[in-house]
Amino acid sequence: MRQYIVYALALGIVWCFVSGEASILNFMVGSVLGILIIWSLKKLYQPDENVPYKNIIARIPKLATFFAILMIEITKASILVAKIVLWPKLEIKPGIVAIPLRATKDVSITAIANTISLTPGTLTIDVSDDLAKIYVHSIDASDPEALKVSIRDKLEKYVLEAFE
Amino acid sequence: MTTATDIIGNVFFLAGILFVFVGMVGLLRLPDVYNRLHATTKIATLGTFGVMLSIAIKAGFSTMGLKAITVGIFLLLTAPVVAHMVARAAHRSGTKMWTGSVIDEYAEDNKREKESQI
Repeated sequence: MRQYIVYALALGIVWCFVSGEASILNFMVGSVLGILIIWSLKKLYQPDENVPYKNIIARIPKLATFFAILMIEITKASILVAKIVLWPKLEIKPGIVAIPLRATKDVSITAIANTISLTPGTLTIDVSDDLAKIYVHSIDASDPEALKVSIRDKLEKYVLEAFE
Repeated sequence: MTTATDIIGNVFFLAGILFVFVGMVGLLRLPDVYNRLHATTKIATLGTFGVMLSIAIKAGFSTMGLKAITVGIFLLLTAPVVAHMVARAAHRSGTKMWTGSVIDEYAEDNKREKESQI
């Protein structure tokens, strides 16, 4: 129950941002709408009643590092892909590589998959049914082992620190 | 102060436009659906995010600035999901990969799974 109230208040803040007016009345309208949204989507999610809120606050520095690394990686990879696209001769070796995962929680697997998709040059296609492998389409799959190592060391390490 | 924010905003705006342009060139040049997704859903998303960021910097902490930031964050959150769903649907419906593709472990694993079920 407490979790639903926290979510509704968070949605109220989002409503303030979207409507572009930060006032008490607007925040209350957003919260009421948030309660309606959460109530109608409740069946899709299993509520996890004992979320350790203190844990989340303690993790904020690590989340910040994760987002900083993410932005740097995205910019670097964007320039790389832009170079491939604008190069007169098309030199690509695309392919789908299975990458083993160490993460076990749904949240961290979602974060890893979205991070991989957001980084240009790699795109998540699917997760295996036992959550042990993730299938990644890469624009340059000439060296699958190097790709596995780079995702494990560059991205997964920070996701594991931030979410588990 | 105003000129400084203007310059930074313009730099982000130009970078964003450039990335959108590169994304569209990629859509035309790259060979198959998966490679085209790389160009459109991500480089173009980054470009749009750059434009939103420049609006936010120029408009400051006002109605327009807040809306621009919100739109940018929503783009960053939803673009990877869309790319993933399109790619997965394409692969499941049997869209062939480009002939120059070097490896497809997803298809291999799917085949192995089907054989083990029989």
